[in-house]
Amino acid sequence: MSKDPFKTRLEIAKKKVSKRDLENKKDNQSPIGTAFKLSTELVSAVAVGTIIGFLLDKTFGTKPWLILIFFFVGVVAGIINVIRSAKKMQK
Amino acid sequence: MAANPMTQFEVYRIGPEIKVGAFDISFTNASLFMVISSLAILIIFNLGSKKNSILPNKIQLLAELSYSFVSKMISDTAGSKAKPYFSFIFSLFMFVLFCNMFGMIPYTFTVTSHIIVTFILAAFIFIGVTVIGFIKHGFGYLKLFVPSGVPIVLLPLIVVIEIISYLSRPISLSVRLFANMMAGHTMMKVFGGFVVSLGIVGGWLPLSFSVALTGLEILVAFLQAYVFAILTCIYLNDALNLHH
Repeated sequence: MSKDPFKTRLEIAKKKVSKRDLENKKDNQSPIGTAFKLSTELVSAVAVGTIIGFLLDKTFGTKPWLILIFFFVGVVAGIINVIRSAKKMQK
Repeated sequence: MAANPMTQFEVYRIGPEIKVGAFDISFTNASLFMVISSLAILIIFNLGSKKNSILPNKIQLLAELSYSFVSKMISDTAGSKAKPYFSFIFSLFMFVLFCNMFGMIPYTFTVTSHIIVTFILAAFIFIGVTVIGFIKHGFGYLKLFVPSGVPIVLLPLIVVIEIISYLSRPISLSVRLFANMMAGHTMMKVFGGFVVSLGIVGGWLPLSFSVALTGLEILVAFLQAYVFAILTCIYLNDALNLHH
């Protein structure tokens, strides 16, 4: 008796499962989902930047300079967000 | 005239008005559907884990499948360090999924189509992840905002950008779920209105669209719950395994 037949069968099944997992990993997100994800990343950073600028303007009384500056900083942050998540998707 | 497609999102009071100070905490239809989804989850998982038979019945299979699905998702994205947070992510995923799915039944109310609900969930995750990061790394967690290899001149600008990008997480998380759910339900209602107004002659085309949209919406309902949970895992991963 060399080997338990159940064990060999289990090993074969396990190998099949891990192989299938590798194949599934490549694309398990739909295109609509990824497109939507990227757009919200961009928009939300711009929104946060603008809100921060607005609040700082209100506290320091420097209307409208800080809101302008932070709007563009928000745009930069949004673009960085998009690049980062796009890189993560490519992995 | 077809009904206004936005009336389905109206929140109204059920039962008496309850006020605590300036806050209105009356029981609304939104609260009712949150209670229903939570109860459904509790019932399904209680029934599913009652009898641990080797050959599972349908409910047990459902419970086991969702358990292993979430557990695999966590270990894939956040590693083994995130195991202690399994129960939180699992209940989050199940709650969002059940709220979305209950919204697909006609005449129900979709809780997740309100930005305040999704934003509170996202803000809770955001604060929790930040607290976990500070507990695990102390003030070293602030290194998240200072990427390595940046010239000292650019550092103030980069730190501001990183902080904004960090703060934008709960907003992008909540807006994504809310916008998907609201857009989908509005679209279904609009096509439903077309069916009524075009009558028996021309109503068949929008009707077939409605059927297709229902299938798409069920997919979106699942996908958005999945995305919500997986992004929580990714943020948790950033907090647990600090590297930049």
